[in-house]
Amino acid sequence: MAIIETFNLCHHFADGTKSLRDVSLAFKEGEFTVIAGANGSGKTTLLRHFNGLLFPDSGTVLVGGKSVKKDPMAARQQIGMVFQDAESQIVGDTVYDDVAFGPENLRLKRSLIDQRVSRALADVNLTGFEERCPHHLSGGEKRRLVIAGVLAMAPRVLLMDEPFSNLDYPATCTVLSQIVKLHEAGHTIIITTHDLEKVIAHAERLVVMEKGCVVNDGVPEDVVVSIKQFGIRPPCSVQMGNGIQPWVS
Amino acid sequence: MGELTTIGFKPGRSMLHRLDPRTKQLILMLLSVASLWGDVPFLATASIVMVLLFRLARLRVRRLLLEIRYFLFLLTFVFFVRAVSLNDQLFPVVNVEQTVVALIVCWRLLLVVFMSVLLISTTRTGDIRAALVWGLKPLPFVNERVAATMVGLVVRFLPLILFQANEISDAMRARGIERRKNPVVRLTRFTITLFRRVFLRADELVDTMQARCYSEYRTLPELFFSKKDIVAAGVAMLVLLSALIPWKVL
Repeated sequence: MAIIETFNLCHHFADGTKSLRDVSLAFKEGEFTVIAGANGSGKTTLLRHFNGLLFPDSGTVLVGGKSVKKDPMAARQQIGMVFQDAESQIVGDTVYDDVAFGPENLRLKRSLIDQRVSRALADVNLTGFEERCPHHLSGGEKRRLVIAGVLAMAPRVLLMDEPFSNLDYPATCTVLSQIVKLHEAGHTIIITTHDLEKVIAHAERLVVMEKGCVVNDGVPEDVVVSIKQFGIRPPCSVQMGNGIQPWVS
Repeated sequence: MGELTTIGFKPGRSMLHRLDPRTKQLILMLLSVASLWGDVPFLATASIVMVLLFRLARLRVRRLLLEIRYFLFLLTFVFFVRAVSLNDQLFPVVNVEQTVVALIVCWRLLLVVFMSVLLISTTRTGDIRAALVWGLKPLPFVNERVAATMVGLVVRFLPLILFQANEISDAMRARGIERRKNPVVRLTRFTITLFRRVFLRADELVDTMQARCYSEYRTLPELFFSKKDIVAAGVAMLVLLSALIPWKVL
């Protein structure tokens, strides 16, 4: 069953630039999708339509069969979004406060909030960090913290906008392992990136965007062969003829 | 962004951290009033207590002074305005009595700033917000949740604005802004960039808060009064009374 559906989605910015052109997509529950595209191809704009941070000029976005435009709050409860800049997403004075921010907005009881915070921090291996200042964490820890902040809201779908930007190799591997683990636990994952290398081996579907349009959509092994023409660098292993190779086991 | 600024919450377990935020806000109000009335011996005692409390909360006074340097410039301006007067020939004259009064005024203002920093550094923003909601609730025509949210956002993002101001200042110095002698040009370049960054950051913040279902009617932290709060509030009351009684009388 599709958890997110878009029908003929069009959007343009205030200066008249068309950011999305006639995008029609459906994402199944439990699917791991990568949306790839060069800078300015419309990946982030598309993600922001899924949880009602942007609304279409024409077309429809449905989450769980309901229009996002009519009830954006319902969509935001089901769809957690991890932004590209982890720093801008941190709003708490401590790690606990930051992860509790979402559940507090849902007006849950304090005991339930505490449970959710503990579970979310355990899911991203940050147990014991509760009283730490978020701004003193490393880049990888911050990224895992914002993922925990989203997980604490118990969403059905996790949207991640360039989750590996500004991360070094060990931090990338740790974040990637957490994402793979979350997918194995049943979460629907949608990741946008222009750097396929790190994540593509774990995805079940690859959507390619160019100038606001979906130009290719299918199984990664098939799509990745012709991806260079859309301004995306194919993974090294593919270029060397070794097929898609994972970064983490 | 490892080290932000001194002006912001620092997690800890000091006595100040463990006091109820409502008690801390009450103490801040009482001591601010006391500082405005207090004479030199009172201000001296309060300053020593303040330094001790800063050590207790593991905050560095020197670092704080560096971070509030722009406020210190303003305070210096206030000092000169109060201390210097013009004679009949319109020449500036410094009067000892006026200078002492100007010093006391600046001292009082500085103490209030230090007390506010102490409150912010030892109290979570969420707790400050919850205490404000509790305090403003009885007031008619005031939406306590909106008011508390506004104060909470200012408290939360003041350190980030200061951090960005420092970053912009460093970036401009790296590109030789100090060679521009005109202070208006320097200030304009700095202010425009800072405002642009702050507004962009505010936009990002709104998006991230909306994505996490932000609502004014959210679950607030649970607050508890304890014996420590009664003792602390009692001491603050005594301090206020001592400020009202001039030392000469004693």
